[in-house]
Amino acid sequence: MNSHPIRAEEFELFALGVFPSEESAPIQAHIDACPECARKLAEARGRIALLALAAPSQNPPAVVKHRLLEKVRAEKSSTIAPIRIREARPPVRWWNTIWAPAALALAVATIFLWISDRRLGDQLQHIQQVTQTYQAQTEHAQALVSVLAAADTMTVRLNATPAMPKAWGYVKFNPRMGMMCYSADLPEPPPDKVYQMWAVPATGDPVSAGVFMPAAAHNGQMPVAKVPTGMDCKWFCVTVEPKGGKPTPTGPKVLVGTL
Amino acid sequence: MSRAQGAEPRSDSDWSLLERVVQKDELALAALYDRYSGLVYAEATRILHDSGAAEEVLQDLFHQVWRTAEKFDPARGSLPGWLLVAARNRSISRLRRRSSRDDDELTENSVVLPCNLETVAAQNQLLGRVKTILSNMPDGQREAIELAYFEGMTHSEIAEHLSTPLGTVKTRIRSAVEILKQALA
Repeated sequence: MNSHPIRAEEFELFALGVFPSEESAPIQAHIDACPECARKLAEARGRIALLALAAPSQNPPAVVKHRLLEKVRAEKSSTIAPIRIREARPPVRWWNTIWAPAALALAVATIFLWISDRRLGDQLQHIQQVTQTYQAQTEHAQALVSVLAAADTMTVRLNATPAMPKAWGYVKFNPRMGMMCYSADLPEPPPDKVYQMWAVPATGDPVSAGVFMPAAAHNGQMPVAKVPTGMDCKWFCVTVEPKGGKPTPTGPKVLVGTL
Repeated sequence: MSRAQGAEPRSDSDWSLLERVVQKDELALAALYDRYSGLVYAEATRILHDSGAAEEVLQDLFHQVWRTAEKFDPARGSLPGWLLVAARNRSISRLRRRSSRDDDELTENSVVLPCNLETVAAQNQLLGRVKTILSNMPDGQREAIELAYFEGMTHSEIAEHLSTPLGTVKTRIRSAVEILKQALA
């Protein structure tokens, strides 16, 4: 019997959060006071956190990054130190009539330079923002070209199913690179639904290759997805799923293609 | 934020980028965002089933990195570990309409990942490993651990959700966790 209220095999369960609050509260109190258990919990949290990688791969829209950077820039510019105002003025002297115009001119020049500097700063920020957007587009294009240009990339035609008889599409799949891209001609999905692409191995569960809307997949912005390198994929399919996608297919198949 | 003992980090390591974020370097924040936003967004979307809400979680988390980067201690844990744990906690809080305790979440800095996720190649490799580990689990174990992780359910909530005895659920989750530990060892 030791003085720790949590057994070695229970750190992961605690990190997972499956204990009811009446059991987890005293454990948390102990961990807060016990460096050894806190270290074990940190390691257990790390192992459990990797379950997040089981979520279907998805990249956020570029606008989120844009909003984040706009927000942090706005905060930066609002933290300029306030100008201190002198409370007492020195007595006016006759020679001030000479220095005053010069000081005024200097102040005007300073303000002009400050405004110019701000404008240049804004322009620089805009250029950086545009550069980041182009960089993201370039990375997407490079990934797309690398898949399309590779000699060992395979093309799989996606055929319609009775659920959507006029649909069609195709997949470019490269198992060596662990990448695929695809295009599909599909109608708009029902409200609150999206299409989700799946790569299906010979054995094991289908692997999500991302969710997409038909306009994005058919206007030259072909989605590019990562799949496990060397995946022994046998066929591909597109299903209709709730917004955000699902970890395994649940909706009707609208396109199917065999490798 | 204190530097850990050891070799000088690479200029594009998480630690170096975080040091630049402390100095309010937006490009460093953008680099960290590019590195980890896909993982965080995929996790939040899987939990919330709502891309708009997942975008808010993602933006809030990286905004917190911007505001409190100086509080991260690389000797105690890793940034991607903290991001994944915090994204899960905030998403489940939203899902269950619980109030988010942002001020408490700095304690979650203590997340030690068993691997490095700083490159796309490393992320891809691990992504394949985790999916393989889960796909090789018996259906009952996988279902139970996914309900715990992505829905934030306790043992008894999972038992009720699956109409399965509580003892069976506990055994399944314990077995699934043991498989995960051994596979990642």
